[in-house]
Amino acid sequence: MADFMATGVSGLLAFQRALDTTSHNIANVNTPGYSRQVAELTTRQAEQHGSGWLGNGVEVNTVKRMYDDFMASQARSSSSTFSQLDTFATQVQRVNNLFGDSSTGLTASLQNFSNALQSVASSPTSIPARQTLLSQGQALVNRLQGYDSSLDSLDAQVNVQLEAEASTISTLATGIAKLNQEISAGYARSGQPPNDLLDQRDRMLDELSTHVNVSTVKQGDNSVNVFIGNGQPLVVGQTASRLVAVQDSFDATRRVIALQSPTSSIDLTDSLTGGTLGGTIDFRQQVLEPARNSLGKFSVGLAQVMNDQHAAGMDLQGNLGGDFFAVGPVAVQASGLNAGTASLAVTRTGAGALTNADYQMTYTASGWTLQRSDTGAAVTLSGAGTLASPYVGDGLSIVVSGTPQVGDRLKILPTANAVSGLSVLVTDPSEVAAAAPVVASSAGTNAGGGTITQGEVLDASNAQLRSTVTIRFLTSTTYSVNGAGSFAYTSGGNIDINGWRVQVSGAPAVGDTFTVADNTAGAGDNRNALRLTAVLNQPVFSNGTTSLNAAIGQFMGDIGVKTNQAQVGRDAQKVVRDENSAALQSLSGVNLDEEAANLVRFQQAYQAMAQIIGVADKMFQTLLAATRG
Amino acid sequence: MRLSTQSFYGSALSAMLDQQAVLSRTQVQVATGKRVNTPADDPIAAVHILELERTQLESDQFGKNSEIARSRLNLEEQALADAGTVLQRVRELTLQAANTATMSDTDRRSVATELVQRRQELADIANRQDAVGEYLFAGFSGLTKPFTVSSTGSAVYSGDQGSRMLQVGQSQRVADGHSGFDVFMQVPRGNGTFATAATSTNTGTGVIDIGSVINKAAWVAGDYSLNFVSASNWQIVDAASTVVASGAYTAGTSISFNGVQVTVSGSPASGDSFTITESGSEDMFTTLDTLVSSLQQTAAMPADKAKLQTALGGVLQQLDQGADHLLGIRAEVGSRLSMLDGAESIRDNLKVDIAGSLADLRDLDYAEAMTRMNQQLVGLQAAQQSYIKIAQLSLFNYL
Repeated sequence: MADFMATGVSGLLAFQRALDTTSHNIANVNTPGYSRQVAELTTRQAEQHGSGWLGNGVEVNTVKRMYDDFMASQARSSSSTFSQLDTFATQVQRVNNLFGDSSTGLTASLQNFSNALQSVASSPTSIPARQTLLSQGQALVNRLQGYDSSLDSLDAQVNVQLEAEASTISTLATGIAKLNQEISAGYARSGQPPNDLLDQRDRMLDELSTHVNVSTVKQGDNSVNVFIGNGQPLVVGQTASRLVAVQDSFDATRRVIALQSPTSSIDLTDSLTGGTLGGTIDFRQQVLEPARNSLGKFSVGLAQVMNDQHAAGMDLQGNLGGDFFAVGPVAVQASGLNAGTASLAVTRTGAGALTNADYQMTYTASGWTLQRSDTGAAVTLSGAGTLASPYVGDGLSIVVSGTPQVGDRLKILPTANAVSGLSVLVTDPSEVAAAAPVVASSAGTNAGGGTITQGEVLDASNAQLRSTVTIRFLTSTTYSVNGAGSFAYTSGGNIDINGWRVQVSGAPAVGDTFTVADNTAGAGDNRNALRLTAVLNQPVFSNGTTSLNAAIGQFMGDIGVKTNQAQVGRDAQKVVRDENSAALQSLSGVNLDEEAANLVRFQQAYQAMAQIIGVADKMFQTLLAATRG
Repeated sequence: MRLSTQSFYGSALSAMLDQQAVLSRTQVQVATGKRVNTPADDPIAAVHILELERTQLESDQFGKNSEIARSRLNLEEQALADAGTVLQRVRELTLQAANTATMSDTDRRSVATELVQRRQELADIANRQDAVGEYLFAGFSGLTKPFTVSSTGSAVYSGDQGSRMLQVGQSQRVADGHSGFDVFMQVPRGNGTFATAATSTNTGTGVIDIGSVINKAAWVAGDYSLNFVSASNWQIVDAASTVVASGAYTAGTSISFNGVQVTVSGSPASGDSFTITESGSEDMFTTLDTLVSSLQQTAAMPADKAKLQTALGGVLQQLDQGADHLLGIRAEVGSRLSMLDGAESIRDNLKVDIAGSLADLRDLDYAEAMTRMNQQLVGLQAAQQSYIKIAQLSLFNYL
């Protein structure tokens, strides 16, 4: 006969375990990363009797953790992507807000400057109008530099963040390696899964995924190997590598992420994706550096159009105008790893061909090559890299000196420092070149109906620019210049001499003379100021297709679209993450109602088992009473 | 599907937080009155808004430029009107002095004295300055006094021929004045084709009129001389002394050649001559100078009177030309002022257009926003209430 007392005890024990598990579940209902556990009940080994196999009760085979590795890795990868997009969206939102206010923005500053130029054009002799122009120029510089320093401080925060991320990731990696060890030991000791340790490890992996995208491979001893980037090992068994934020080899103030093992240090910055780390790196690469370069390019364009036209004018003191704005130079950074001594002298050839990109110049066995840092596209260079024939490409002129070694690299930042070096060079209001340096006149004695335009400057550097030139009509169709030569006359045709251009139109009579002379007395002349207002609206960027204002619009639109896309992308990814996490939760999460029901169920079963023991006891007493007789 | 207790609370909470975020966005819109607060709210509209606000600022500046141009043109207009009044007074005095029958040399000298005053008055007008001290009629050389008139009456113009353009619209520029060269120095001489004068050595009493053009096409530009080879015969010779025309003299009968005609009256003596020179231009001060010096000559003899009459005829012609010239320039000023009016109405229309576009692009539709806000409030309340209700449900309540 089967020992149903023993069966009863097996039931009591089994349901106690089940109740233990249920209460463990209830206790951990709010524990993050906790996976529901289930006591798996199985029948005990039956006994053979003559009448057949008699059951021997119940036992707990194992306490099972309700978990699915596939669903977990889905949830992890979607949460990694979400935190990348979330970080990116939060950061880009800050840039968006920085440039958001249109009434104090760059467009308004530029227009105020342009309006101040208009005021000078309207009242060229007015010193207050000229002073206002200088103040508005300074305001524009301040606005740009304000933005630039805000971007700089965001950049500094990125560096701090990278350091924090690297240290968090390293800590988590160490924790995972340690848990790997404990888990392997736990399995080895009992042959049963150490569920709560597994939960802890999975929780750390979840946490790690919100910092950076990882891939995991489970090993035979139940440890997990973790890889980041392009498969670089972060945790192998019980050893963890360290992720550190190190100085960029090109720029000591910039941090890059490197994987350090005792023997090597590999720069992983460009291969890391996902998580807050990936989002921060993306933000720096896709928003921060392009934004800083855009502002720089804008400054270069502004300085170029203003300086070129200002130099063609004449100030109140009768001197030719100098540069109006100064702009920061091209930055060149040699890698600290370079074996050679090559250095580059880089200047800008013009805003038209400049891009928003940074560049990398590499010395290969076949010579120097130039690559865009953002797309990696090679830039075709003309020239030989010498002073006489510099390399020219993408708006840059590059002169190489020193001796390079193969593999040496230098980074070129064409516009990054432009804004920080921006300043208004004209300090004296009377030095604003509002006038044109030459003025044309017709002789009072002219009998014909010819008229001459007031003249415009084509080349201010012409040494003879301001020399007096007399155009005298020899016949009604020919004229001489300064008494020499005979040139054919076309009404309205351009007459270009000494770097200026005039047009004579109408029907001049024989002997009529027109004079183009120095305009030293022309304090009230506003021709150059008018041209300055005009060039501000002329296309200068992208090979003469984009004006300063259009460039601001493009820049703002770009920031707006990036922010908007990041927000939409984050919201969409949030849904994906929530779904994946809900799917995993539906398997491994604790439901209190379910646990309550289990509590009732197992309690009842436990009570029933206790009754069986009671019955067994009564039967035993009955038997005793019978034998006692 | 099983629902874990944690994810129930989690998702209910995050739904509420989302509702709150949406509500707070709407609240910001209502508080600022703007639909687009940062470029990300609507990138395309944000770029449009930038451009529209820029155009507004630019248009305001064009308005200021317009006002500056208008005030300068008004000053010029006033100066031109004053100059016209001076010329009118000079003309009256000249007519008075031309009456050789009643005016004595002394009378003419006293007229000449007043004319010297008028000449100074005209010079003062030509040197007039605006409120900030810039000379109205100096061209670009606004800080240089443009006219210096010597005591003998000859004027030197030290300005230039520049004329400043002000931007009053996207593509509209208006000149804010005329140079003194154009206004005072470039009065066409004579009748616009030629000018007549008597030679100072004439001894007869012949007086030449200002002449007229009968066939402009036949006119051969150049300087001519009408010579009386005898008291009754004349010939016209050109600059190369070639005889162009000749005939017998009858007093008061017109003499025609090359499409023009002049009339000589009185009795010219043999050897007298008159010049017929191609019109160039003459400045107003020279005209007044000629007038003053003519009136200061004694004219007791008939021959002198004849010369005086010829001279005064020429001066009157020149004064009329001057008045016409000023009127022409005033008409130009008037048309510039009306251009300013036109530009202003274009700007006003643009302003209305921009305000409308900005309202569409940037500004909030309050009715829509309030409706939306109410919906969102109801949504948030419903989420909160249902959360509380559902959270109360638990099997543990019944154990």
